[in-house]
Amino acid sequence: MIGIVSTPKAAIDFDAAMQEHRSMVFSVAYHFLHDRDQAEEVAQDVFLSLHKNLHEIESPSHAAHWLRRVAVQRSIDASRRRMRRPVVALENVKEPSVKPAAADPLLGELLRKLIVSLPETQRMVVILRYQEDLDPTEIAAVMGIPVGTVKSHLQRSLALLREKLERRGVGER
Amino acid sequence: MDWLEEELKQALARKEPSADFDARVRRRMVRTMPRWLAAAAAVIVLASGAGLYRHRQGEMAKEQLLQAMRITGEKLSVVQEHMQSIGERQ
Repeated sequence: MIGIVSTPKAAIDFDAAMQEHRSMVFSVAYHFLHDRDQAEEVAQDVFLSLHKNLHEIESPSHAAHWLRRVAVQRSIDASRRRMRRPVVALENVKEPSVKPAAADPLLGELLRKLIVSLPETQRMVVILRYQEDLDPTEIAAVMGIPVGTVKSHLQRSLALLREKLERRGVGER
Repeated sequence: MDWLEEELKQALARKEPSADFDARVRRRMVRTMPRWLAAAAAVIVLASGAGLYRHRQGEMAKEQLLQAMRITGEKLSVVQEHMQSIGERQ
């Protein structure tokens, strides 16, 4: 008779984790890559990786942190592999034909395009700060960079975005 | 938070992936079952089958031996009776 080796019970339910965190994982990838298809593929890869490494997850909060960290890594990897759409320098982003008003969908789209033109690390810092509402210490832990670096990236990114928007006549209401 | 940060929060609000996202992940999970796992499963099935075959062969051999002993025993009884009858006639 062949004995069956039993595996230890996982600390989290995979399906529940996917349901709870799929929008977070997808959104990190989408806002970083600004490409829905690529973001879907990255998000699928992240959950496949979770399934393979389920035995390493110790708790639901660990799962959230793990997923966020892997989503960041895979998004950056995908961006580096991407060949078809080169990153447009901030200076080369065309001005919209109509100046968007604040809280206008056009402004949101313009902001998303400007974010994509930021260098990788700054881009991800901005996404983790404003999509995930993480503070600089939490961002530093996810990305494995010093807190001081996170803060300076944030300051520089905001200054740059502000400058570009003001050039396009978009400013504080 | 200033106006730009508020706009960034809105612009970077979470979005949902496609409606069939979960199904697509599960399909990929099935497709990417490791080859070693599939091979191990095949070996276990074959080993179980071979073991069962040997067991059956053993059972059949045992049955055949018992049958042979029964036949031999019957024949010996016949010979014994014949010898007895010869002995009685003498």
